[in-house]
Amino acid sequence: MTLHDGENDHHIAAIAALKTYDVSQRHAARLRTECHAVLQTQSRRTVGAGSGNGTLFRRIIGPALAGAWCLAYLVEIIRRAAAVYGF
Amino acid sequence: MTPMDRDDERRLVARLRSGDTDAFDDIYDAYRPRVFAFLLRMSRSRTVAEDLLDETWLRLVQHAHTLRPDTRLAAWLFTVARNLYWSYRRSSLVEEASVPELLALWPSPVPWPSPFDLAAASELQRRVERALSALSPQQREVLLLVGHEGLTPTDAAAVCGIGAEALRQRLSRARAALAEQLDDTPAVATFKKGYAT
Repeated sequence: MTLHDGENDHHIAAIAALKTYDVSQRHAARLRTECHAVLQTQSRRTVGAGSGNGTLFRRIIGPALAGAWCLAYLVEIIRRAAAVYGF
Repeated sequence: MTPMDRDDERRLVARLRSGDTDAFDDIYDAYRPRVFAFLLRMSRSRTVAEDLLDETWLRLVQHAHTLRPDTRLAAWLFTVARNLYWSYRRSSLVEEASVPELLALWPSPVPWPSPFDLAAASELQRRVERALSALSPQQREVLLLVGHEGLTPTDAAAVCGIGAEALRQRLSRARAALAEQLDDTPAVATFKKGYAT
């Protein structure tokens, strides 16, 4: 399929020749500023999320410490309960 | 429209993914008028086109870091712009159907000839703009994407969410409909003569 394979080539050519429109300079500048801000925020967020210490603590050390504390708490409860009932 | 070199495009995408605002500026300056003109011709409303344009670019920066390295920027941007337009159109149709009394309070759409129409550079352009506006949105979008934006049929099909064969048929019908709208106008006859020589 090509653009110029039919009898209406001149119509497509007329469409290709249509002028391009744009928003006002003020609108374009405002949108550019807004997009820069979002882009920079997203970049900081991505870099922060991917940084070594943050990721290591959030994904491994933090859950491991919390899990160990919960396990120790549970063991101590069971041990005291056993002592109360004379085991 | 001159398509962007693939290597340049890959480099720009890589820089954009890393949050480079200069890369964003290059893309923004290259595609902003094209996307806006597309949205303007689809929506036939400057206000709507401006809103949808804002949303299109905000979507790009929000998803910049998740773009694939081989992303084709024109196809990506026109896909988002097109989807936003159709979402807007669906929601406005729902509003129109459910609360007509509220719609009556809003200013009516600009009738043709609008300032946009009058600003067309030539008689032929004015007639082409008018003929395009008379087509269905589905026909208008394929003609604009392929005829004006220079997207390949493959990219245009992807933008429209249809297969290559469906696009070929839709484009063929759109061309016929446009020809029907345009034929027998003096300006087109003159253009045809010039095109043939």
